[in-house]
Amino acid sequence: MIRHTIGRLASTVFIAVTLALFTLPMLWLASAPFDATPTITTSIPEFTLRNFAAILDNPYALGSIRNSVIQGGGAAALVVVLAALAAYALSRVRVPGRDLLLYLLLLLSSVVTGTAAMVPVFELATRLDLIDTHLGVILVVSGGLLPAGIFILKDFMDETPTSYEESARVFGASPLQILRHIVVPLVRPGLATIAVWALASVWGGFLFQFILLRDPDKAPGSVILYTLFTEGGAPKLDLISTFSLLYSLPVVAMYLFVSQRYGFRFHGGIKR
Amino acid sequence: MISLHGLTKVFAGGVRALDAIDLTIADGEFFALLGPSGCGKTTLLRTIAGLETPTSGTIRINDTDVTSLPPGRRDVAMVFQDYAIFPHMSVADNIAYPLRIKKVPRAQRTARAAEVAATLSLGGLLDRRPSQLSGGQQQRVALARAIACHPRAFLFDEPLSNLDARLRLEARTFLKRLQRDLAVTTVFVTHDQAEALALADRIAVMSNGRMVQVGSPTDVFQRPATTFVAAFIGSTPMNLLPGKIADGALHVAGATLPSPTGLPDGTDIVYGVRPEYTDLTTTERPDAFPGAVSVLENLGTSTLVTLETAGPLIQTVVPEGDEPRLGTRAWAVPRRALIYRDDLLHTTAP
Repeated sequence: MIRHTIGRLASTVFIAVTLALFTLPMLWLASAPFDATPTITTSIPEFTLRNFAAILDNPYALGSIRNSVIQGGGAAALVVVLAALAAYALSRVRVPGRDLLLYLLLLLSSVVTGTAAMVPVFELATRLDLIDTHLGVILVVSGGLLPAGIFILKDFMDETPTSYEESARVFGASPLQILRHIVVPLVRPGLATIAVWALASVWGGFLFQFILLRDPDKAPGSVILYTLFTEGGAPKLDLISTFSLLYSLPVVAMYLFVSQRYGFRFHGGIKR
Repeated sequence: MISLHGLTKVFAGGVRALDAIDLTIADGEFFALLGPSGCGKTTLLRTIAGLETPTSGTIRINDTDVTSLPPGRRDVAMVFQDYAIFPHMSVADNIAYPLRIKKVPRAQRTARAAEVAATLSLGGLLDRRPSQLSGGQQQRVALARAIACHPRAFLFDEPLSNLDARLRLEARTFLKRLQRDLAVTTVFVTHDQAEALALADRIAVMSNGRMVQVGSPTDVFQRPATTFVAAFIGSTPMNLLPGKIADGALHVAGATLPSPTGLPDGTDIVYGVRPEYTDLTTTERPDAFPGAVSVLENLGTSTLVTLETAGPLIQTVVPEGDEPRLGTRAWAVPRRALIYRDDLLHTTAP
């Protein structure tokens, strides 16, 4: 009995400590922007909104959020459309070696947007005149996200019984109509998942944006964050924390919206 | 009218699902494709629908060759085993979907959907989602969707198999009346012989991609063409007993029976008799199968009795109240029997 109580107590303490460890950075992010003199420790802030005024004065801060929206949104749209088409085809058509192909793509995707491919990607972008363009960033990051996107969406497609599509086919629906009327609505939660995941990855992505964009007017927030250091390399914690908070809010809001809207699956219509 | 000529389907990998099928289904006929799983009945239905392309042969619907037409242009409606009602659409939108594809104006579509729904007593459910319907209601929505597009033929894939036993009987009667009222040529697939006998005007019994017998339920039940059909049709399986002609008489499982004409001495035959067409007696007689009562199965209004003989087990059905005691010595007297030679029906027993 006592042993049991001690066991319960130990596990509760362990969970509390672990949770606290992960909560502290969040607390810091929530408190530091409002602190007149933030440090790397979390403390009750000396309340001020001056940091927000300072960030708004920064010539690149707001523009960088717009750039993030363009690059993240563009990549998300491209990934959703291409991954949906590819996943549908891979799920419905018998291609010899289909699984091998998918796993190879998945494996290579970490190379495409990995550090190893930095030089070739830069070289390619230079030759295609894509340096310093939103399109260049969108194409490169989409290339890295697509395999995993296809992989996840194919699972959603596989779960959708083919009899829905066959039924529509017998009624005379064209392949495009079947895609629009039946398949897209059925896998909409999957599409939303992929869109959020793609946008969030690009939002936080740094390396390729840093390499492919020279002009600070085109740089996304993740790159601008890197400029908020003094010449000596010391972080300006007040600006960094404030910008971090502002920069993470849109993603959090989007996540909440999508999860509320699509965080459910359709049931029924197929008798199992 | 649907006519199939030399229809063959060989799947990649060499499985011959349909083997030179010739069949004509008359206008307004309720036609059953019956067989065990893997016999090719669903492939045949899907080939008629256009969801599978035949390897060779032709399909004609009302004298139009549809063999190379896509499913949407064959003017047939199919109801799938899992119903395949679109879960993201309301009942009304589901029923109106074929009309939406045909570009019928919205107002007309809604009116037609409401009209069809009313005839299938779905009137109050038009705004519901499929997940809010019972199994029986889902099945009727699938039927309504098929009816709404006014097809030349209905194709049903195991239409009743997903309903529970009691609902299935109700739906069976409903389906038969609906088909008679609409008078649309209907082909349905089933593995349940009772369903085929009850619903169909004609039945095709299939095995290994071939049609073993095509005929009315009465034909198929009373004169099964092969021992396969004989064993497959009937709620209690037919007794198929090996026998031999000797000295001008037929010797089967301990009984001596009159020999059918035209069979020489020494011929091996199979004697087929349904449990329902045998009487059980406790008095010894030479033209009956002797055995000991080993199992009694209550069927409600009758009892299925299994006799253990020197040879195979023999089953017979006795009316309520006439059950013998377990272990009793008894004789099963065949009333109406068939004689098979080389697995084919030779004649009825004299």
